[in-house]
Amino acid sequence: MTTPNMSRRLFLQRAAVGTLMATGGSTLLAACASSGSDDNGSSGGGADKTADNPFGMADKATVDAVIFNGGYGYDYVSFAADIAQKKHAGSTFKVAPSTQIAQQLQPRFVGGNPPDLIDNSGANQIGFNTILDQLATLDDVFEANNYEGTKIADTLYPGAKNPGTFDGKFVAMNYVLTLYGLWYSDSLFKENGWEPPKTYDALLDLGAKAKAKGKYLFVWGKEAATYYHTLAVDSAIKEGGDEVRLALENLKDKCWSLPQLQGVFKAMETMVKNGYFVPGGAGTQFTAAQAKWSNDQQAILYPSGSWIENEMKKATKAGFNMKGIPEPTLTDSPKLPYESLRSAAGEPFIVPAKGKNVAGGKELLRAMLSKEAATNFAKTRLAPTIVKGLVPADGFGSTALQSQTAMLDAAGTNIFDYQVFGLYGMNTDQLVVWNSFLSGQTDAAGLTKGLQQITDKVRNDSSVKKIPVNK
Amino acid sequence: MTPEVVPDGGPQRSAVRRRRPLTFDRISFMVVFLGLPLAVFVIFVVSPFVQALWYSLTDWSGFSSKMNFVGFDNYVRLFHDDIFLKAVRNNIELAVVVPIVTIVLALTLATLVTIGGSGTGTVRGLRNSGFYRIVSFFPYVIPAIVIGLIWAQVFTPSTGILDALLSKVGLKGFADYAWLGDARTAMPASMFVMIWGFVGFYMVLFIAAIRGIDPEVFEAARIDGAGRFRTAVSLTLPLIRDNVQTAYVYLGIAALDAFVYMQALNPGGGPQNSTLVMPQQLFTTAFAKGQFGYSTAMGVILAAVTMLFALLVFTVNWLTGGRDRKVRR
Repeated sequence: MTTPNMSRRLFLQRAAVGTLMATGGSTLLAACASSGSDDNGSSGGGADKTADNPFGMADKATVDAVIFNGGYGYDYVSFAADIAQKKHAGSTFKVAPSTQIAQQLQPRFVGGNPPDLIDNSGANQIGFNTILDQLATLDDVFEANNYEGTKIADTLYPGAKNPGTFDGKFVAMNYVLTLYGLWYSDSLFKENGWEPPKTYDALLDLGAKAKAKGKYLFVWGKEAATYYHTLAVDSAIKEGGDEVRLALENLKDKCWSLPQLQGVFKAMETMVKNGYFVPGGAGTQFTAAQAKWSNDQQAILYPSGSWIENEMKKATKAGFNMKGIPEPTLTDSPKLPYESLRSAAGEPFIVPAKGKNVAGGKELLRAMLSKEAATNFAKTRLAPTIVKGLVPADGFGSTALQSQTAMLDAAGTNIFDYQVFGLYGMNTDQLVVWNSFLSGQTDAAGLTKGLQQITDKVRNDSSVKKIPVNK
Repeated sequence: MTPEVVPDGGPQRSAVRRRRPLTFDRISFMVVFLGLPLAVFVIFVVSPFVQALWYSLTDWSGFSSKMNFVGFDNYVRLFHDDIFLKAVRNNIELAVVVPIVTIVLALTLATLVTIGGSGTGTVRGLRNSGFYRIVSFFPYVIPAIVIGLIWAQVFTPSTGILDALLSKVGLKGFADYAWLGDARTAMPASMFVMIWGFVGFYMVLFIAAIRGIDPEVFEAARIDGAGRFRTAVSLTLPLIRDNVQTAYVYLGIAALDAFVYMQALNPGGGPQNSTLVMPQQLFTTAFAKGQFGYSTAMGVILAAVTMLFALLVFTVNWLTGGRDRKVRR
């Protein structure tokens, strides 16, 4: 055979360029194949709608559920699936876990064969504004009777529909009731004679007292720096009411310069300057940072949602006696009372309209809302679901769960929530700004500027669908 | 293969070959060894490229099959997107620093273990060079994600090894210092981790290249009085030029990607986005923000930057004398 008249160098060059194209292109490959047809899948019915089968799920059908496998696991859905299975002998309920909801399900949405039920949660959740028009409305689920024969809507906490309603369409059933507050060790506070703070002035006083004992007021981790964003925004909303909330929700120009937000930012700036934060948070993984509060007790307070007890279960000091209090207000006379809370259900469950068995997806939701399944969740995860009255007075032995019930009772109807930051996927950008602020590299003015830029960018981006909020 | 008579040999030979009849043998050979790979290449490499180019001109959300053609809007937006431009700058910084440092280190080590040994007798490496070679190859055996996670722990303030060591030797200023959380150190620290992971492999690559050189050349240089440094710069380097160039291109591609390392060290892009790289931004734009059209445009830019980089490396090599060697062949 003759050798091709090609020098080794030329070969190397071509090989290198070839590899390079393949490597550089591999990132492009991620976005391939969108050949799905746009036809409507069958809406999954088939059987008649009866009291026992309110959505008309077909006999011997298969229900395909993909559940986010995060802090709450996914076996609580399997538990509900077993209950549903008993009701519908012959049908199969498949429950699969996933931690990469968006990555895993993206091709199925494009291909027009999404699962029948999805827990769209976690860091890799699908942004709601991208799939809104592909979701089935879930109003009929709440209108149906539960497995005990009561109308589901009557068994739920008020406002259960709110967090899953976008643009007037109720498309996501948020299952787990979450509230936001400050969390502390009751035993540590009692030992030192500290009072849980109600205002930012009290918070600053407590910071000085903690410092005298060689402790810090707060701690933060790099992936969770925005917990302080939540704290600041919630406090400002309590201080200024709907005016503040609606300005933020509707991405208003100069919304971050509202006096209520500025007051909170200034107080936080003082905390940072006085060294009330455990240093180095911008380089610390967030659960390691949280353990500095729950296990080492270097920090005495932590702002978080009520999932914190379950999340830190294995890294909490014995005798910690975790308790929660509402987020502090700026002054003594806020628009909303001190007891008001940001509370919303989390873990959004969605039923894609194009799924093969829409009725089956809804049936599984009905099983999850049954007394048996919801009690199982509250008991094993130490967190209440949107089904009310299932947590006993002793909170299954948890002080944190007891204080959650107490906080909710005290708040009454003074409950608020907002979705703007999650809706437009702003958290990643906000983390950067907050990490700089909490480590003292920028001041309150820098923080305001950074946050305003992120808001303005979304507002001015014509390709992002805006969802106005009026109430 | 075909025993044809070539009367005058040489140049005419190829002319005759071109006219060789298409036998079944030859056709089946071409189908299997040319047609099949070409088909695979076109279907799995070229067509996704073309498809990606098309997506980058649409406003596809990624979660439906609907999309509108928007022309070059995505590209126009990219050049006004300060965060993406920051990522581009970070990538370029990586593509400049990481390959140079890695190659200098790898070449130094390779020279030491091959020709850096005793000045008498045959040309050989340092004593126990086999041991050094194996040890320095270790990091390459560990997957990149594990390297990233290990170093993230090392850099952790207060509980990490690095701060503890620095405090022990009396540098109190580094107690609780967030290496990955400070905009001044996050990028250098991340670069260090990447270089740490790469050096061993490129050292072994260069050792193999140096071994391929006739040892008599080194002996002759030594007899002429060349020291070790002179030998390395004037002899080894020109002789393994091709390998260095290939290494440079590979390292540059790795640095332009860098996704795994950065995602493990600073998933959010680092303080003030100081370690954010294009693939990370592409990833969040696609999956968290649901803007696949826009993020595909980022991918196209990334591919363009990568190709530009390779072109630059080839040009520089050619201009600095790489072309001279062709004459000799």
